[in-house]
Amino acid sequence: MAYSEKVIDHYRNPRNVGSLPKDDPNVGTGLVGAPECGDVMKLQVRVNPVTRVIEEAKFKTFGCGSAIASSSLATEWVKGKTVEEALQIKNTEIVRELNLPPVKIHCSVLAEDAIKAAISDWKRKSGLAEAAPTGAPAAAAPAQE
Amino acid sequence: MSETQTLTSRELHCWSCGAAAGGAHFCPSCGKIQPLPPDIDYFTFFGLPRRLGLDAHALEAIYHELSWRLHPDRFAQASEAERRLSLDRAAQLNDAFRTLRDPVRRVEYLLWLSGRRREGETRQQAPPELLEEVFELNEVLEELRQARRNGGDGTAASLRRQLEAEQQKLETMLAAVDKELAEAAAAWDRALDSGAAVEPLFDRLNQILNRRSYIRNLVENVRQELAAD
Repeated sequence: MAYSEKVIDHYRNPRNVGSLPKDDPNVGTGLVGAPECGDVMKLQVRVNPVTRVIEEAKFKTFGCGSAIASSSLATEWVKGKTVEEALQIKNTEIVRELNLPPVKIHCSVLAEDAIKAAISDWKRKSGLAEAAPTGAPAAAAPAQE
Repeated sequence: MSETQTLTSRELHCWSCGAAAGGAHFCPSCGKIQPLPPDIDYFTFFGLPRRLGLDAHALEAIYHELSWRLHPDRFAQASEAERRLSLDRAAQLNDAFRTLRDPVRRVEYLLWLSGRRREGETRQQAPPELLEEVFELNEVLEELRQARRNGGDGTAASLRRQLEAEQQKLETMLAAVDKELAEAAAAWDRALDSGAAVEPLFDRLNQILNRRSYIRNLVENVRQELAAD
């Protein structure tokens, strides 16, 4: 199976490879794994707490070319977006951009999951309740009163 | 029950004297070696109940006794057919022993017998709680390969030590999984004894086996990498 030119480009010149300090309160880390091939992908974002804009994104992926390209592209796309905008990125857009064949669609799913995981980690750290429907700024479980 | 009996009754009678042999290794009447019943499982072969808890010494004792009684050398003067039967049974004996004496393979076999696990099935899915470990390990492996390419002996040596530490960690994890498996196996036997449902335990055993095979693969990777020097 031949990789598309865009995949090869991202694979040879991956953007934003590296890592951000995990303990930085403005950094969110997403670590996800692919059931189909055992790939592991780490994606990190640094969010401006005031504007909620993702100012920096880094990734490190162990896996096939498509997984690397998907995460590389994901970091490019989230940069400059607000967390809300970044959460709108769909794996199908990655598939289209990289011309991923059907057998590699799970790589794009992984990248989407990584973005979501990184942002939810950042939200958790910032005390923004992820699960609470009311958006109450508490990490504790919502008490029924 | 009567149906299965009819199906296998031909095999269950001694081929030589016609007495009921019941799938035994030797005819209780004339003592001739008997063919393997087609659906015999390893537990039955050893005359053991289908349980996960197994006395290793007792198993070994049965194995030694049977391997002496079934050994093809003892049938050197016997008919061609009997020599073949002894070969069949001796081969089955070795397969059965290798499977049953290993607590992990025993569980795999039992799940397979119950139709809960296909042979050789291992899922490559990284359990979420292992992701961090897998990631770190991959990082060290990558650095080590890079250091080797660059001929950095000093760096390679320190990475080697790191990898050895990772290996230790993985071995500890493997030991913990084995302990978990032993506990689940004991729970399975207890459920059998008390007549409780074993269904939920199938899933638990399967999950543990999957996690175990994942960790085992990682251990194997590290071992190979360390041996590559």
